[in-house]
Amino acid sequence: MIQDTLGHLELKVMEILWAHGESNVHDVVQRLGRPLAYTTVMTTLDRLFKKDLLVRRKWERAFLYAPRWTRLEWEQKRAGDFVAGFLASPQASGDLLISSLVDAVGQYDTALLDELERKIRTKRRELGRRGKT
Amino acid sequence: MTLSYFPRLLCISLATFFLVHLALGMGVALIARQATRLGERLRPHVAARCMLALRLLPAAGAAFIVVAVCLPSYLCLEPEAPTERVGFGCLLVALLGTALWSVSIARGLRAAAGSRHFLRGCERAGRPARLPGEHADAWIVDSAAPLLAISGIVRPRLLVSRSVVSALSAEQLAAALRHERAHWTARDNLKRLFILLTPGILPFAGGSRTLECAWKKFAEWAADDRAVAGDAHRACALAAALVRVARITAAAGDTDRLAARVDRLLRESPPTPAPQPMLALSGILLLAASLAVAILQPSALYSVHVALEHLVE
Repeated sequence: MIQDTLGHLELKVMEILWAHGESNVHDVVQRLGRPLAYTTVMTTLDRLFKKDLLVRRKWERAFLYAPRWTRLEWEQKRAGDFVAGFLASPQASGDLLISSLVDAVGQYDTALLDELERKIRTKRRELGRRGKT
Repeated sequence: MTLSYFPRLLCISLATFFLVHLALGMGVALIARQATRLGERLRPHVAARCMLALRLLPAAGAAFIVVAVCLPSYLCLEPEAPTERVGFGCLLVALLGTALWSVSIARGLRAAAGSRHFLRGCERAGRPARLPGEHADAWIVDSAAPLLAISGIVRPRLLVSRSVVSALSAEQLAAALRHERAHWTARDNLKRLFILLTPGILPFAGGSRTLECAWKKFAEWAADDRAVAGDAHRACALAAALVRVARITAAAGDTDRLAARVDRLLRESPPTPAPQPMLALSGILLLAASLAVAILQPSALYSVHVALEHLVE
């Protein structure tokens, strides 16, 4: 799951990478528009890499970082995670003005789902036989 | 505390609402369990209406008494004295009435805001697309969640996650979409809003849960019946869709309720939807009108006014 909350600096760094593509730490420091220590930016890029938002490759003893997702993809995935999280929250069970096919809170018993599927298959076969006769 | 004419009216109305609501709520709480058991023997859409009516009865009854009895009695018989003393007990009960409404309005607003927030999230995570057999676009949401729902009170918005679209066959998806359309036809989201906006049957206690759960169950069954329309193949497809959607994620719902729905769909004669008679609504309106006419007799108004005077003191 993509980490959906980004700090101010993390978001700024992501925006630089989305705008300029693959960059090293030095490039990002220069494009930030405010004086920040090289190590601070390096730590931020490393954190974003660990959050699975960046890919990196080594080039001449330094890492080059690039976004793993386009901005649109990232926003869509973030929203998708939000939807999944919201549906799994207790509020979804009662206090939402939506009518769902199945409830989205709790836990289903896999064995019982298997049993229900077996019943459905039996019923299908029965209907098939009736159709033929 | 001394209050002028209209603040006194407001105080009396809130206090009367609270007391009548409490009395009716206690009556409903006593019969709620038996009513839900009885509901099992009725057609689902009738049972759903009964559960909804019982859930809303304390608030609707109390509102009716305030509007049709207290207001006319007070306005006709209370002299327009500049100020009058209102007892502590009446003030306290009026405050409880205010709190009762505040809690439910806050709950309704929170639900509306939460739903709006959720809908925005779905819109950000998806895009509109036309699903087979649908007349309007559905929002296909890029999410692993088992989402197949209809949202909205005025304009329906069908929300389907990509995981559901890819998990269901065309036949199963069509059955599931018919089920969601049935919810829309029955205005279930509007009813949900009414339930959230209406104070619980027992003030500040969780006594409404039995009826609300029963209403949800019967509303789902009624939507299943409407989607299936007596066709055994459709019933099978809907049952399969339910199990498939339940399988998509480990976080899902009440197994017993799902099993009961699947068993209903697979039984020998598939459920058929019943016509939607306006008889019950007409009966309620007729009863309310007759009560109002009876209460508006001068002698009845006078008795009510005497009772209100006691309440104020």
